[in-house]
Amino acid sequence: MGGDGVDVPAGIDPLHPAVALVVVTAVLGLGAVAAVVLRRVVAASLAGRGEPLSAATEALREARWLAGQQVVTTERPDLATWILAPAAYLGLAVAALAVVPLSAGVAVADVRTGIVVFGAAEALAIVVIFLHGWSPNSPFALVSAYRFVAVALSYELLSMFVLIAAAVPAESLSIGAIVDSQAGLWNVVRQPLGLPLWLVVSWGVTFSGPLAVVDSADLAGGGGVEDSGLQRLTWAGARAAMLVVFAMAGAAVFLGGWHGPVLPGGAWMALKTATVLAVLVGGDVVLARMSAQRFVRLAWGVLLPLAFLDLLIGGLGSL
Amino acid sequence: MIDVAFVVFSLAAVLSGYLVFRVDSMIRASFLLLASFLNVGAVLVLLLAEYLGTALLFMMTVEMVVMALFMVMFMMNPAGLNPMSMVHQPRAAALAGLAAAAGIWAVAVFADFPDAPVVGADQAVRDLGLELLGQSMLVFESAGVTLLATMVCAVVLSAARGRFGDGYEGSVAPPLEPGGDHRPEDDLVDTDTGGHDHGGH
Repeated sequence: MGGDGVDVPAGIDPLHPAVALVVVTAVLGLGAVAAVVLRRVVAASLAGRGEPLSAATEALREARWLAGQQVVTTERPDLATWILAPAAYLGLAVAALAVVPLSAGVAVADVRTGIVVFGAAEALAIVVIFLHGWSPNSPFALVSAYRFVAVALSYELLSMFVLIAAAVPAESLSIGAIVDSQAGLWNVVRQPLGLPLWLVVSWGVTFSGPLAVVDSADLAGGGGVEDSGLQRLTWAGARAAMLVVFAMAGAAVFLGGWHGPVLPGGAWMALKTATVLAVLVGGDVVLARMSAQRFVRLAWGVLLPLAFLDLLIGGLGSL
Repeated sequence: MIDVAFVVFSLAAVLSGYLVFRVDSMIRASFLLLASFLNVGAVLVLLLAEYLGTALLFMMTVEMVVMALFMVMFMMNPAGLNPMSMVHQPRAAALAGLAAAAGIWAVAVFADFPDAPVVGADQAVRDLGLELLGQSMLVFESAGVTLLATMVCAVVLSAARGRFGDGYEGSVAPPLEPGGDHRPEDDLVDTDTGGHDHGGH
């Protein structure tokens, strides 16, 4: 294993690490701020209170205030896990973003096993969210962690099947190849079940909307009840970043990614990401939280068969 | 660069594997074991077994989550929250572990590995696919269906609600003293609001 003479299969060239750092920071930073502000604006305008603009500045002011607050801990927490969980969640968002192409031929690292890497990041997010609730040694946080796992194991399978269905016509596990395969017809048309199921998965991984079972009000703050200061801010920021990454993946896998007339590829990708993000954020505001038990029944009884059907449609369509 | 990464990931895998037996909680032990597997996955990626490496990350993660949760659920220790030892029969286990490690090291040192690089990585994948879905397909598929049936049965058995109604339906609390009378007020579920009138249905 000297690294020389090893025949690495050709794909899209990965970005130089320095460039990748700038790109990832810009995409996730701007995207997360956009997601948080959008959520505030939608919530404020639906509630018919305040100026949308003031809702946006309020979010940023609150973030700055949180960053300056003292971090308090509980009695006998698993401190290392607790402190590292938000960073790990953000790291998983970065890892998942790396395999999603930003435009034709531009990706941080469009590896051949793209959807497997994406799925691994998604699965590890379950561990991180569980540990984040488990580590403070606090009852409500612990309850939220356990019920999240029940929800997570149910949406995780949906994600696998819709991604595999999208990979079948592409004959590749690379997300770049999946976008390429949609040059003629987008997956949202030939596999219409994929995108709705993907929205469910996205809400699950970011514990928002109908699947807001973690940091939720019914558990007095749940997994985040003991978080304070910078730690709370990081967790919220990482969650917004993860939402952006899932919106990007949805745009790439189901909405044809960079394909589109007139505008350059990157612009189409940004537009489609913004569209999916708007739907996700809108759903987060509008849709009521389901109880974990009801979602588990819905997921195994209805959504999973739909995911099988999606896979069947994907398979038959590419015969 | 690759050599350095190999050493780092290998040491991390061994260290977290060792720590599995040094910590005092099921959750910590499970996720340290996961950390060990993740490092092995990274080593596999370094060995250019891209798919196997990344699939290992993915599968082991879900497996360890399920394992940790089930261990906590079925443990006598309430919710697995009290500190507990992660070892039993440590001496026999250490001997067995050393013997197994010695065997693997012996293979690594003395075996005559082919050093011809695989011509065309995709051919190897194709051969593996033919092996899995050709001659041996019946075996793999039977194992797969059996495992699936097992999982479905496990879910059915552990579900609180079944086709015959609530899982608590008809469950009767044991008497307080041996041979004593069954007290309906101890039952887990109030069958109705009509007090203890069990003959009224």
